Amino acid sequence: MRSGWLLPLLALVVMVAAPARAEQGVTDTEILLGGSNSFSGPLAFTGEQITKFGVDLGFKAVNDGGGIHGRKVRTIWYDDGYKPQDAVANTRKLVEQDQVFAVIIPQGAPPVVATLEYLEQNRVPLLFPYQSSTVTRGRHWVFQGMTMSDRSSRMMIDYLVGRRKYRKFAALYQDDEYGKSFLTAFEKDLARHGLRLLAVESVKRGVTDVSAQIAKLHTAKPEVTFLVLVPGPGAQALRERQKIGWTDTLMVSTGPLTDERYLSLAGDAAEGVEGLSLWPDPLTSDLPGVRRYREHMQNYFPRNEPNRYSLAGYFAAMLFAEGATRAGARLTRESLIAALQSVKRWESGILPPLTIGPDHETQKQAVWVRVERGRFKQLTDWLKSE
Amino acid sequence: MRLLALAIGAAGLLLWPWAAPRYFVFLASLIVVNAIVAIGLNLLSGYTNQLSFGHAGFLAVGAYTAAIVATRSPGVPVVVALLAAALVTAAVGLLLGVPCLRLEGLYLAMATLAFGFVVVEAILNLDGLTRGNDGLRVPAARLGPWVLATDTARYYLVLAVGAVMVWAAGNLARTRTGRALLALRESEVAAQASGIHVARYKTLAFAISALYTGVAGGLFAFVVGFLSPDAFDVFLSVDFVAMIILGGLGSVPGSVAGAAVLTVLNDSLAGFQNYRPLIFGAILIASMLFMPGGIASAVRRLRTRWAGHPPMAPGSRRGLE
Amino acid sequence: MTIAALVHVVVSGLATGSIYALVALSLVIVYNATRTLNFAQGEMLMVSTFAGFTVYAHVKLPLVVVMLIAVAAAALLGWVIERVIIRHAIGATHFDVLIITLGLSLVLRSAAGLAWTHDEFPFPSFFGTRPIVLGPVRVAPVSLGIIGASLALMLGLWALFTRTRLGRAMRAVAQNQRAARLVGISVERVYAASWILASVVGAIAGVLIAPVVFLSSQMGLVAINGFIAAVLGGFGSMPGAVVGGMLLGVIENLAPLYLPSSIKHSVPFLALIAILLIRPGGMLGRVARRKV
Repeated sequence: MRSGWLLPLLALVVMVAAPARAEQGVTDTEILLGGSNSFSGPLAFTGEQITKFGVDLGFKAVNDGGGIHGRKVRTIWYDDGYKPQDAVANTRKLVEQDQVFAVIIPQGAPPVVATLEYLEQNRVPLLFPYQSSTVTRGRHWVFQGMTMSDRSSRMMIDYLVGRRKYRKFAALYQDDEYGKSFLTAFEKDLARHGLRLLAVESVKRGVTDVSAQIAKLHTAKPEVTFLVLVPGPGAQALRERQKIGWTDTLMVSTGPLTDERYLSLAGDAAEGVEGLSLWPDPLTSDLPGVRRYREHMQNYFPRNEPNRYSLAGYFAAMLFAEGATRAGARLTRESLIAALQSVKRWESGILPPLTIGPDHETQKQAVWVRVERGRFKQLTDWLKSE
Repeated sequence: MRLLALAIGAAGLLLWPWAAPRYFVFLASLIVVNAIVAIGLNLLSGYTNQLSFGHAGFLAVGAYTAAIVATRSPGVPVVVALLAAALVTAAVGLLLGVPCLRLEGLYLAMATLAFGFVVVEAILNLDGLTRGNDGLRVPAARLGPWVLATDTARYYLVLAVGAVMVWAAGNLARTRTGRALLALRESEVAAQASGIHVARYKTLAFAISALYTGVAGGLFAFVVGFLSPDAFDVFLSVDFVAMIILGGLGSVPGSVAGAAVLTVLNDSLAGFQNYRPLIFGAILIASMLFMPGGIASAVRRLRTRWAGHPPMAPGSRRGLE
Repeated sequence: MTIAALVHVVVSGLATGSIYALVALSLVIVYNATRTLNFAQGEMLMVSTFAGFTVYAHVKLPLVVVMLIAVAAAALLGWVIERVIIRHAIGATHFDVLIITLGLSLVLRSAAGLAWTHDEFPFPSFFGTRPIVLGPVRVAPVSLGIIGASLALMLGLWALFTRTRLGRAMRAVAQNQRAARLVGISVERVYAASWILASVVGAIAGVLIAPVVFLSSQMGLVAINGFIAAVLGGFGSMPGAVVGGMLLGVIENLAPLYLPSSIKHSVPFLALIAILLIRPGGMLGRVARRKV
C-alpha cells in the first residue's frame, strides 16, 4: 500500500503548478483511446475484428500518415467476454487508471448500456458503440455507430411493403436485446401500413436445433420471414428451411446479420436470400474507401481476411480522425463533440457523404441486397431512413 | 499476536479508500461482494459436501430484489433493500432446498444448474418487474439523509455488511445450528443417530447459503449500478465454485482468499484480451496441481511445518477453521 | 401442425439427442473410472474436430479420413491430459480435479481461438441436406445419418464393455476399485484407457454435429447439454446416458411447438428438476446406498 497522504498532495501540487489543464488522454504527441470488448465469449470473433483489425488498422494508417495534428493515436483494449459487470470494471479502469480520452466501439447492448451512465457522469465521449438498440440515442456524449434497429426496420418494411408489395410477414429472432429491439420496431412499422407479424419465434444464443421454430413459422405461411439472428443460427435457419423444402417464403436478414460469414456457413441454402446491408461488399466493392481499406489490410495484416467487422472498425477510426482533425490542435472532449457534430458531407469513400447532425447518429442508410451465386448483389441505391 | 494482525488488517481495510486510487476502491468492493457469495456457497458445500452450480441464480434474485425495492420506493434505506434481498433469496433457497433434499452430489449440482437457467429465464419474462433484456438501472443506495453515491461510500457500506457476514459465519460453528451442521458434515448417519433432524438442517444450510448470496446480490446491484440477465450466466456460478475450491472447502478465510485472488486475477488479465481465459485457466490448473485442497490447506501445511509438527494425515483436509 | 412436420421435428430432435447422448457417454466413461466430472469434455471434442478440419482445409481428403484424424487427435489429447495433468494431481480431491478440468476447458477454448480464430466454419458432412420424401413425411438425411452413426457407435461401446477384457476391467474398476486392483487389474491403465475412449467418443460426436451447428471455439458448450442428459438418465449408467440424451433432444424440440414462448426455453431445465424430484437418481440410475 502506498503512503496515504503523499500521493494526493503531490497530485495537488502538480495540478496547481500546471499552466492550463490539458485534456485527459491527450498529450503533445499522443491521443489515447480505449474500449472494453469481447475477446472471449460468444462475440469474440466480431470483437477482435472490429478492434484489433479494424480500429487499429485505421489508426496505423493515420499514424503512418503523420498522425492527427502531430499526435499519434494509441488504443487499449480490455476483454469483457460480453459480461456487463466486466464491461463496467474495464471501462472504469480505462477512464480512471489509463486515463483515456474517449471510449471507442464497445460491442453489444448489455455491456454498452451498463457503462452508459458512468461515462456520461464522467463526461467521457462514447464513440460508435457497435450495437443497434436505441438506448444510446439522444445523448450528448454518445455518437452512435451502427444503424439503429428502428431505422433499419423502417427501411426494410417500407421497401418490402412499398416497393415489393409484400403483405404477410413473420420473424425468427434471437431472444436478447438485439432481437427484441428489432421485433418491437417491426411491429410498429407494420402497423403504419395496417399490417402485423403473422408469427414470431425465438431462439437462444448457441442453439443446436431450429427445426421446431422453422416448422412453426412454416405453418403461418408468411411471404417474408425476417431473420434477426447472428451468423451461426442464421445459417442454421436457412439450412433447416432447405431440409423441409420450404420455398415459398422470402428470407430477409437484418443489417447486423447480412455478412459473408453467414453466406459461407449456409452454402447453397443461402441462394436467393435478401437482406439489408449496412456496408458495401468489403471484398469486391470498387468504392475508393473500400479499396483503400483492402490495401491497408494487405499491408498491415496480410493474414487477416477483409470482412464487414474490420471494415466497420476501420470506418470508426477514419471518422474519429476526421473529428479530431476538425477539432484543431487544442483537442478537448467538448471540442471533439462539437467537431463531430459539425461534420458535413464528409467523403469516406465507403458510405455515402456523411453529415452528422445534433442527433449524433453516424449511420442512417443501407442498401438492399440479394444472394446470387454465393455473393451479395446490390439491388437498390442507398435507402434512407429519415 | 493474532489480535495485532487483526487490528492491522482492519485498519488497512478502513484506510484503503484514502490510500488507493478510486478504481481500486471499486475493485475492493467487488472482492467483498464475491467473498460474501463464496462464504455462503462454502456454508453449503463445506457443511454438506455438495456443490451448487446455481449460485449466480441466487445472486440474481438478491440483486433484482434490492434494485426493485430501491426503484419502487425511492428513499428507502439501503438496509431495508438488503434485508429484502436477504429474505427473498433465503425463501427461494428454502423452496429449492426442500425438494433438493433427496438429491445427492452430482444430481444436486445439476438441479442447481437448472435452477440458475430458470432464474435467468424468469428475469427475461417478468419484464414488467425486471425490465427483461433492456436491463435495470439501479438507483444510488440511501442511508437516512446520505446518498451513497461515491465509490468510498459504497465501499464502506459493502465492508460493513461484509464484516457482519464474516463474523456471523465464523460464529455459526459455535451455535446449536452450527454444531448440528458440523456433525452432519462428518457423518449424516451418525448425526441422525444422535438425534439431529438431518432434513431440517440440510434445508437450513441451503437457506443460509442462499441468504448470504442474496445479500451479496443486493450489494452487487449497488456497486455495479446496472443489472441485466447476461450478468448471471452459468459461468458465473462456476466461477464461484472455483473460488471456494481454490480458497479451501469449508474454510471462511479460505473463501475470502479465493474470492480475492480470482476477482483480482479476472480483472488484471482483461488487458491480455484473447489470452485472458488461457492464462486464467492455466493458473487454475497449476494452483490445484501444486496446492491440492486450496489456499486454506496450503496455509495449514505451512503452519504445521513451521511449528515443527508432523504433516497432517490426508483426509483431515476439510476442517472448518 | 401436421403429423408430417411433427415427425420431422421429432427426428431432428432425436439427432441432436444422439449427440447429447454421445457427449453424456464420454462424461460417464471418465466418471465411472475416476469419479471425476470432466468439465473439459466439450472443449476436447471441439479441439479434436478442429484437428481433423485443419487437415481437410489443406488437403481435401475423404471425410472418413478426416474423421480418423480427429479420432487420432482425440486419443492423443485424452492420453496427454490424463498422463501429464490428471495423473499428477496426487492428493487432490475430486473437487480439486474438477477445477483442473475447468481450467483445461478455458485453456483449450482460448487456445482454439488463437489457433483458428473464434470464427465459425462450415464443416463437410457425410450426409446431404436435401430432404428424403416418404409420402407426406420429409426427413433430413443428415438427421437419420447422425442417429444411425450414433447408434452404431453405442453398439460398439456396448460390445467393448461386455465382450472385451479391457471393457470388463473398466466395469470392474467402476464398481469397486480396490477389488479390481486385488484381482490384478491395472487401475492406472484403466484410467488412461477411459480418458482416451471418452475423448474418442466425443470426437466422433464432434465430427457428426459440426456440419449442423458449425465448427467454432464455442462448439464445446454442447457439453452442458451432455451433462444434463447424463444426469437425466442417471449418472454412471450408460443406457441412462443414451435415453437421457434422446429425451433431452426431443423435449427441446417439442417445447417450442406447444408451449408459450415465455416458458419454452426453461422446459429442458424444468424437466430435469421434475425428473430428479420423481427419481432422485435419474431415470435409470440407482441411488447409492449410504455406508455407515
